[in-house]
Amino acid sequence: MQLADLQSPDRQGLLPALARAAIIAGSYWLLSLSLTVSTGSFAAVAGCMAACVLVGPQERDSPLKRLRTTVIMFAAALLAAMGMIAAGIITGSSFIATLFGPVTAFHLAEGVKWLSFSFALTGAVRVMAVRSSAGGIIEVLLVATGFVIILSAHRNGMINRPFFLGDFALSRGLDPATVLLVLGCGAVLCLSALLLVEENRRRLPYHFAVFGLLCLSLIGYVQTFGLPTPRMTDDLGLTGNSAQQRENPFHDGENNTENKQAPVAVVVFRDDYEPDGGAYYFRESAYSQWNGYMLDFTSHPEMDQDLIPAPGAPPRETVSDEGRRLVSTTIGTLTPHRSPFGLDAPIAFENAPNPDNLRFKRTWDAHSLVPEFDLNDMVGLPAGDPDWPEEVRQEYLRLPDNPRYGELAREIIGDLRPQYAADAFARAWTIKSWLDRNGIYSLANEHAYAEDPAASFLFGDLTGYCMHFAFASTYLLRSLGIPARVGIGYAVPAANRAGGSALLIQAIHGHAWPEIYFEGYGWVIVDPAPRRTLVDMTTDPQNELQQLLGDMLRGEAAFEEFLQEQAGLTINWQLVLGALPALLAALVLASYTVKFYRLWIPAAAGLAGQHRLSYRAALDQLAALGIRRRFGESREAFARRASATAPALEALTAWHLAHALGERPPSLGIDDWSGMRRRLSAEIRGTTNVGKRILAILNPFSWLRAK
Amino acid sequence: MSWDTARQAPPSETRNNQGASLADAIAVLQRLRDVVRGQVIGRDDVIELVIIALIADGHVLLEDFPGSGKTTLAKALGEAIGDDRDCEHFIAPFRRIQFTPDLLPSDVTGVPVFDSASNAFHFRHGPIFAHVALADEINRTSPKVQAAMLEAMGEKQVTVDNVTYPLDDLFFVIATQNPLDLVGTYPLPVPQLDRFLFKISMEHIDRQAELEVLETWRSRRESPGSGSVLTRDEILASRAAIDREVAIADIVKSTLVDISRNLRADERVLQGNSTRSLVLMLPALQVAAALGGRNFVSAEDIELLLPRVLGHRLELAPGVADLNRILHDNMREPMERLAAGTLD
Repeated sequence: MQLADLQSPDRQGLLPALARAAIIAGSYWLLSLSLTVSTGSFAAVAGCMAACVLVGPQERDSPLKRLRTTVIMFAAALLAAMGMIAAGIITGSSFIATLFGPVTAFHLAEGVKWLSFSFALTGAVRVMAVRSSAGGIIEVLLVATGFVIILSAHRNGMINRPFFLGDFALSRGLDPATVLLVLGCGAVLCLSALLLVEENRRRLPYHFAVFGLLCLSLIGYVQTFGLPTPRMTDDLGLTGNSAQQRENPFHDGENNTENKQAPVAVVVFRDDYEPDGGAYYFRESAYSQWNGYMLDFTSHPEMDQDLIPAPGAPPRETVSDEGRRLVSTTIGTLTPHRSPFGLDAPIAFENAPNPDNLRFKRTWDAHSLVPEFDLNDMVGLPAGDPDWPEEVRQEYLRLPDNPRYGELAREIIGDLRPQYAADAFARAWTIKSWLDRNGIYSLANEHAYAEDPAASFLFGDLTGYCMHFAFASTYLLRSLGIPARVGIGYAVPAANRAGGSALLIQAIHGHAWPEIYFEGYGWVIVDPAPRRTLVDMTTDPQNELQQLLGDMLRGEAAFEEFLQEQAGLTINWQLVLGALPALLAALVLASYTVKFYRLWIPAAAGLAGQHRLSYRAALDQLAALGIRRRFGESREAFARRASATAPALEALTAWHLAHALGERPPSLGIDDWSGMRRRLSAEIRGTTNVGKRILAILNPFSWLRAK
Repeated sequence: MSWDTARQAPPSETRNNQGASLADAIAVLQRLRDVVRGQVIGRDDVIELVIIALIADGHVLLEDFPGSGKTTLAKALGEAIGDDRDCEHFIAPFRRIQFTPDLLPSDVTGVPVFDSASNAFHFRHGPIFAHVALADEINRTSPKVQAAMLEAMGEKQVTVDNVTYPLDDLFFVIATQNPLDLVGTYPLPVPQLDRFLFKISMEHIDRQAELEVLETWRSRRESPGSGSVLTRDEILASRAAIDREVAIADIVKSTLVDISRNLRADERVLQGNSTRSLVLMLPALQVAAALGGRNFVSAEDIELLLPRVLGHRLELAPGVADLNRILHDNMREPMERLAAGTLD
């Protein structure tokens, strides 16, 4: 039969080739966006498309086919290098700059550079993909890289990154994370499409359905459980989850600076406040009671009465307002925290409405009495509270049973002028200054597994991080009879606020410091600041992120209005994005309903419609297994083709056609039809394996392709 | 298409009082087929088409080379059909006419000769008065003879000296022409080709069949078939039964019309097929369906016959040669509508 032989040969169609070109070009666009100007991006896309179009047919015919792969690779590298050189010449040449102006020359150079680069790279990758089966992987990786680079800017809670996406989203009243999520789903779909374009096209809709379900489940996961939070290492246990609560506050060896920029909380100031000492201190709790090994959280009811156990507890009267001013802040944490914290010294926490449950783990208003006094006012004041029972006072003075603390402390204060020799503050300040001069800040040195880490630090290399300094100072002070404790929380450089009313707390700001109790003023922070440091503790300015998170935390205020305003301008993207998964889920559900209805209805229908319904059900069953009639193929020819899987289809087809086309169809009973359906199902069970049959049942859209 | 594929289709059990039933008709066709197959080896597809044309009251043009068994085929077909009527003794079961440039129309049709005994002219019937006539190398003779031959084929009658002599109802012509050796020929123009239901281009038979021919040629020559296995009346009765019993659904007819319209609109086709070609195709489709054991015309019948019916009726644009591609392109969409239409 000549006509059957004329089925079009199985070669790459125009549409899949164009789809592949578009996907690769898209990844170039994403890659180039942050690296070049718009001209460069357009040039990259154009070069990629040109390479795809040229390589596609050329690789099958001549003359590209005759070239060795190495030659092509070399030519591609040469082309890319030539593009770079040409771009250098264009920007470097004063002639071109005077002729077109420097901006045009720069655009021209970027265009040339990216055009040659993307053309060469795409060409080389395409040739590899066409010539070897593993070559396609490079292509897929290239596309994946484009997406991953975009997404990686967003990691560690930098939700405003990358800026071009963040700005796009915020100006439309969207959460940037949602846009990235959609982008990620798009990436998965693109990658799968790219893979499948190479393969059998018949499987494409089915694979897309599976990928679509995966993406839906991802969106559903985020809607249910929230966004993943960055994992912190340099947090001094502040964000440690309770299951892993450790007695040892020293986390040597676990500290690294990898995640140091990760935002952990944002503070919105309701009152203006600029600290004297150059840093905002947020106290979470304190180590004050000697437990036989080291200082720990107190269990004594009369110790540390200034610390607030939980939000909503009544304001503490124990903090003196001498030299202090009431400042209210709102704090929202981006990572889970053990307990709330507030500006030194917090007196009350009140739960505040959370404006964004996905974004903020917990929000509260913190009311603090911030110090406005000069530290010099402490001179001459007795340390400790006269109201303390003697037992409490003794607790604040306990330290390891090591005479070297006392010896060192007395040695340090030995140089004090006689009139200050007995003064608590002067002694404390001298110890701080000594540590400033002699201590070296480092995250690397290990003291944690010494019996007394503070001693290991102080009498050893004097190299350590804040926890060592804080413990060492506290022990030195206590050895001199000054009641002291270790405060823990966050210390943020004042400059970080950059004039705004929001302050971003990052993982690196986790801190511990020594505190001394002065009569009338309460606990006063005297924080050593070593001049020598081995760690780069500086962070990039995060002003946009700080402001963005601050705006989000304010919730009711400007940000909401801004969002409302933006939402009124364009279509409601939030609603669209929210409705899309629901719509897709409904679509899948409806499709399943139709699928199983069509399979079930022959059993319920009468004899009159059997020739249609039974036959259609059989076609659905086979279509789910990937056996479908081709366009223009006759029903008999299809039945013969399918007879390898289900021979019964030939008889069923004959019956169906006799009813549909004939005038005197054979007289069949309802049992004949149901028997034939059972026979067909049994044959399918006999010829296909279980996995394929399960996939056939799961595919919701199989019936769409049955015809 | 094989004879056996569609056996599962239930043959109609309806027995009509008037004439033979469809089952009888199918039995007749199969008997005829088996006899011819016994004589001609390796040509099952051609035998099938020839039998379809015979029952559908059409004629066949074979494009073939000498010595490929067409005479054997025509002879076997003619000899299988017996004539049990007494009066029509001048009609032979089979006649072969070799068309040469000097052939005259009267050599084909017959001529009145003067009979001195009765003092009158008697018409001496020509070789065309046969059930199966083999017109060998029809393109080698003059257009005048061709016209006479084709008139006989079209009208089922010959007119000599203003007297019209009717041919038998079962008048079937197998004409041949050599597609390669064209020197000194008078190629048949397209309107004349329209008289033929099928134009069949034969190919060499395969190796196994050719070996079998060499093995059995002597025995087949010595026992020339089993004589006539069925009668002319049986053939005519099955023709009537098939015409009556095999249904042609409206959607099938609209498919044929759509394909024709597509072909006429195709710019690669200079002149499309005539409406008459579709009319002639309908009985052929019915016979093909009956041969498939069906009592309705289906897409398969169209796929089988359409290229054979339309191939020689289309005049292609200059430079276009790929007839099968053109047919395929124009058939796909209507055929898809036909297939999809059965579920509506």
